Amino acid sequence: MSKYILEAVDLQYSYPDGTNALRNVNLPIHQGEKLAILGSNGAGKSTLFMQMNGIYRPDSGCIKYQGEEISYKNKALIELRKKVGIVFQDPDSQLFSASVWQDISFGPLNLGLSEEKVTERVKQALIDTETTDLQDKPTHLLSYGQKKRVSIAGVLAMEPDVIIFDEPTAGMDPRHSQEFMQLLNSLSDKGKTIILSTHDVDLAYSWSDRLAIMYRGEIIAQGLPGELFSRSELVQHADLTMPWLIETYNELLKKGWILPSTPLPKSKEDLFKIIPIKSGQQTA
Amino acid sequence: MIAIDSYAYNNQLKSVHPSEKSLFAIMTMVICITSPTILTPLVILALMAGGIIVKAGIPARVFIKLLLIPLAFLLISVVTIVVTVSTDPSGLWLYQNLYGYTIGIHYPDLVQAVHLFLKSLGAVSCLYFLALTTPITELITILHKIKVPYIITELMVLIYRFIFVFMDTAITIRRAQSSRLGYVSMKSTYRSISQLFSALIGKMFLKSRDLYDSMSARGYTGEIRVLTKKYPINPKNYVIITVLEIFLILINLLWR
Ligand SMILES: Nc1ncnc2c1ncn2[C@@H]1O[C@H](COP(=O)(O)OP(=O)(O)O)[C@@H](O)[C@H]1O
Ligand SMILES: [Mg+2]
Repeated sequence: MSKYILEAVDLQYSYPDGTNALRNVNLPIHQGEKLAILGSNGAGKSTLFMQMNGIYRPDSGCIKYQGEEISYKNKALIELRKKVGIVFQDPDSQLFSASVWQDISFGPLNLGLSEEKVTERVKQALIDTETTDLQDKPTHLLSYGQKKRVSIAGVLAMEPDVIIFDEPTAGMDPRHSQEFMQLLNSLSDKGKTIILSTHDVDLAYSWSDRLAIMYRGEIIAQGLPGELFSRSELVQHADLTMPWLIETYNELLKKGWILPSTPLPKSKEDLFKIIPIKSGQQTA
Repeated sequence: MIAIDSYAYNNQLKSVHPSEKSLFAIMTMVICITSPTILTPLVILALMAGGIIVKAGIPARVFIKLLLIPLAFLLISVVTIVVTVSTDPSGLWLYQNLYGYTIGIHYPDLVQAVHLFLKSLGAVSCLYFLALTTPITELITILHKIKVPYIITELMVLIYRFIFVFMDTAITIRRAQSSRLGYVSMKSTYRSISQLFSALIGKMFLKSRDLYDSMSARGYTGEIRVLTKKYPINPKNYVIITVLEIFLILINLLWR
């Protein structure tokens, strides 16, 4: 057994039109981690994900699943796709049926499960993504965010070990995107490995265990979120911005409200906790 | 079209088993088409109007508008059947001489035409009943169950879904064009339309490839298998359908 569940090794990939979309990408993914891939539009996040369950084949380099290079034979690919699920960026290219129920049942049926088992999984996925009351609506009458949640349900119902989300919160309203992040945490608690791409730096910083920054087809940095975001030149180079938590932290540090030994806040609550009470002020 | 589709998902009969609705609509339609008397289509028209307006709760206005669609077409065919042009007025029930010709109506032709007209309208109303109360996805499932080749049902699933995706795309492109004055003159309209279509074809190509990718990612291997929601079977509905159909058949038999 390798210590990495999934690994990209020296991946090179060009689209048929010559766009060099992935350049020498090396990315190990640890079992059970929450990995965020940050990158501006066109950085190559979606292209990288397509490699991870064998939809695209690299020009050179390889993808390893549990330490073994993946095979592109039909049978092997089907096995791989049972373990590595992808929620695509555009729900309109994932939802193939006008019926929410039919669409969600598609994946689990392909796993060869019994009808009862599939029904159970569809129901659970509907609950997990809060789409139960959308089940009788046709997909074309759903809003973008609702379609997105249905397409997420379609992959959750397959219960893969590794779930890849391509810009999952784009187009979701704040409440649903917050609830979605909670869903990700609960999946992670169940031992799933979760990878998501985003250009939302705040979300990536707060949620992830580990972060990789992509820029023009390359992974220019990977590591702990706090460490990567302390390198402001890197963040700027990748056309990203600083998370507001870190900016506030730095400002507080600069103006002497907190000591340099104070740990970086991971959430709003953390930040509020480290802001000291002004001397002379009564605590509430 | 789109209105019919929306009502199919949102009417008071949506929880009724799709097989029951299909059985009712198809059997009634067959009885209507084979009816020897004009009474049957009239009863069926009333029955379907009741089903659509009262039972399914679809506004009467919508149903009437839908019936008007085939009306023009039907009237033209009725006129061609009824009106005879000849030089001999004998045997004509109503006629008018014009420039040496006689334009007139044979009475049996008139009866036949009215009968045909009502039969068609009755049959159409049966189809509307089905279309307004039953989502296409459910109808496709029924086709699948009665062993229509899966290549046909799968294509229907995909086509039905993508009609809406492409319509959305087309509407978006059109809006973007009009907001940049793409349709102000005849010339710009032609240019905009041609650009819309070429953009649409490009998008269709990309979308179909993406769809294939995403379906493969969920284990697609050449056959789309899906589970449909189970509807409760209601024996009472079968009794109602049987009684109604027997009633209609009796009309057919007694008034031949
Ligand atoms: N089907 C395609 N054909 C050609 N080039 C593509 C295709 N899809 C994406 N690209 C290009 O590859 C690069 C990476 O795209 P993508 O992986 O979609 O980026 P991201 O998901 O990070 O926004 C971009 O420059 C994009 O224009
Ligand atoms: Mg992308």
